[in-house]
Amino acid sequence: MIEMVLNGLGVAGLWLAVEYCLKQQTAQSLEEASLMPFADDPEVARRVELATGKVVKAVAPQVAKPGWGNLDI
Amino acid sequence: MSTATIGQAYNYKVVRQFIVATIVWGVVGMAMGVWIASQLVWPEMNLDLPWTTFGRLRPLHTSLVIFGFAGSAQFAASYYAVQRTCQVRLYSDTLAAFTFWGWQSVIVVMLITLPLGYTTTKEYAEIEFSGAVWMTVVWVAYAIVFFTTVVQRKTKHIYVGNWFFGAFIVVIAMLHVVNHLSIPVDWFKSYPVYSGATDAMVQWWYGHNAVGFFLTTGFLGMMYYFVPKQVGRPVYSYRLSIVHFWALITLYIWAGPHHLHYTALPDWAQSLGMAMSLILLAPSWGGMINGMMTLSGAWHKLRTDTILRFLVLSLAFYGMSTFEGPMMAIKTVNALSHYTDWTIGHVHAGALGWVAMITFGAVYHMIPKVFGREQMYSTPLINLHFWLATIGTVLYIASMWVNGITQGLMWRAINDDGTLTYSFVEALQASHPGFVVRFTGGVFFLSGMLLMAYNAWRTVRVSDVAMAEREAQIA
Repeated sequence: MIEMVLNGLGVAGLWLAVEYCLKQQTAQSLEEASLMPFADDPEVARRVELATGKVVKAVAPQVAKPGWGNLDI
Repeated sequence: MSTATIGQAYNYKVVRQFIVATIVWGVVGMAMGVWIASQLVWPEMNLDLPWTTFGRLRPLHTSLVIFGFAGSAQFAASYYAVQRTCQVRLYSDTLAAFTFWGWQSVIVVMLITLPLGYTTTKEYAEIEFSGAVWMTVVWVAYAIVFFTTVVQRKTKHIYVGNWFFGAFIVVIAMLHVVNHLSIPVDWFKSYPVYSGATDAMVQWWYGHNAVGFFLTTGFLGMMYYFVPKQVGRPVYSYRLSIVHFWALITLYIWAGPHHLHYTALPDWAQSLGMAMSLILLAPSWGGMINGMMTLSGAWHKLRTDTILRFLVLSLAFYGMSTFEGPMMAIKTVNALSHYTDWTIGHVHAGALGWVAMITFGAVYHMIPKVFGREQMYSTPLINLHFWLATIGTVLYIASMWVNGITQGLMWRAINDDGTLTYSFVEALQASHPGFVVRFTGGVFFLSGMLLMAYNAWRTVRVSDVAMAEREAQIA
């Protein structure tokens, strides 16, 4: 009997975790989240927009500052 | 497309360091694998020295490829992806540098102590007491760097790939500490606090989740970043990715007892391990399908994009090995497969086909970006690497399937009077052709790895500072 209760609790825990993560998400917010890998890469974001018709909230590059891209390993 | 400007440059230095470490340990660890494969074909390859016998080099091979190659790859990929998806520089350059040098020192400790015979004897957890403690310190630093970066993010949402990386970091910490609880008698000798069947259960709770979290969850984080990025399409279903995450981390942790079928472990625990392993097929395939379907409308890119081929093939092998695993966890199947080469083949379907292939794809994707090049030095070499790795993997797993089933059947065969039909040596002789094919597969795979090292070297040698600076900005 205890095994059944534990199994039930496990399934309920999984369901609650998923529901908790998704409860405040809308279709639009999930779409925005899925586009995050492209958001810091305007060039790729443009290609994704052309291919999918979705709007990527991309950010523009900043001006380089000295020492930002040091190549030493 | 709306635009805004934020932040400062990404920390790519530590990413570059871990990428180089990935390639170096990949070459060394896989060469070690080929060496011990050759010992099974030609026993004299153990050189008749205690330090180079199979029993000492095999744990070194697994430690180097798991912690050196796969571990460094996950450090590199997680540091790269978390910065880019959180649009913030990695927390603390000093602590990040500490994780690099600390982790490399852990691998060096393995490289020295394991051939000398210092070992806990626990599979995938062979590193002895002081090394294990040091590993914990480095891992805690990694957790601080990763999670503080997530906390400091400029984005509202935490991208799903970072959830997988985060689970990988937390669960590995838990598994490593619990499995390594022991009483030291000196720096490199300790005795576990557990005994008997309990010790075995804890070890295989760790062992299976080393596969589940060190070799799967972190790499799924990699998949959720690099597959969409390389394809140029968002992940097929973001909702499914969240369900995938929770289902995977909920179920994986229970599957360990399938490593102890028909042992002193209580029967109910064995059955639980089998049942949970079968259920695990659902989230595994959910994730695999989510990754594959991301290519919807972009399958044609496989014709020209050699990096994408690695990523897609890795998903195919992930699907195959996560089907094979639950099947082998069924007790009646396990009665045939356990202790045979089938298990070795299964592990390498995942290790070569999934872990290494997705690492190759991710590393080829990252190198030009973090070293300031438009692309890798040679695309044909990437293509050649792809085919060498594919052929090598297929030769490896096919030979081990044949060997495994042969061994299982020969060991089980009995005569009418109840005596064994075959001696152990007869089964070993029957396995010899399979050992030769496995060695050949390993040589293929290692050759591909060497090509990657050459390609990376030629790319890095002409790295472009100005372009690296542009890439390192938080765009």
